[in-house]
Amino acid sequence: MTFYEKELQRIHSTVYSNQGQIDTVIAIRNYIENHYDTELKLEVLSHFRFVSKYHLLRLFKKYYGLTPKQYLINKRIEIAKDHLAKGTSVTETCFAVGFKSLGSFSTLFKTKTGKSPIQFQKEQLSRSIL
Amino acid sequence: MRIFGLSIPVMDQEKAFQFYTEKLGFIKKVDIPLDGGHRWLTLVSKDAQDGPELLLEPAPLHFKPSKVYQEALMEAGIPWTQFDVDNVQEEYDRLTGLGVEFSVKPTEMGTVKVAVFDDTCGNFIQIVEQL
Repeated sequence: MTFYEKELQRIHSTVYSNQGQIDTVIAIRNYIENHYDTELKLEVLSHFRFVSKYHLLRLFKKYYGLTPKQYLINKRIEIAKDHLAKGTSVTETCFAVGFKSLGSFSTLFKTKTGKSPIQFQKEQLSRSIL
Repeated sequence: MRIFGLSIPVMDQEKAFQFYTEKLGFIKKVDIPLDGGHRWLTLVSKDAQDGPELLLEPAPLHFKPSKVYQEALMEAGIPWTQFDVDNVQEEYDRLTGLGVEFSVKPTEMGTVKVAVFDDTCGNFIQIVEQL
């Protein structure tokens, strides 16, 4: 067995020994992946796994390095990029990925990608013509 | 300042180019001839062609410490880097079918599943699926 394989085993037994917690956060992540376009709040997620919302927040951050909310925003922005690149309007995109306000969508999009949704779309569409 | 991508040390750029394109499925982005028959050779993922670039760098060929480091990692089974995949088991089956050798078979590690293969250019590479 190589050094690396031994390290994998060691890390598995120290960091990833609590299978119950792991099952919970994996289920939560899958839930976000499949329901990112709905109104997702910590309460919804915690009901779904029968854990307190603060416990859930800590667990998710511990295993994925992001809060559920940050994870959700990243997911929505990724999907929004696909929509925009296909020519969907900014307003339609905003609601299709689960944002409720056009202003907060545009601001978040710019923070995450460095471009406003409309700039991003123009670039993508001009590229596809080339 | 922006992050461009990452480099992978390879002894033979052409051999690496073939492995990384034909087996792994990356595509060529930039290929600039340099002196001594070397190239500034970068690849990108098919579905993220604006994304990070992979530089196939002939460092171990010219700089001994690079070769020593690469060999030490190989000896310890430590991957040089890792790539994200949607499904580790599927990639494992696909690559095994193409003759790629794995040092670590698909293994669950908490919230991820990993596997490690030999890139035939002196490195182990890990693939990761988020669970």
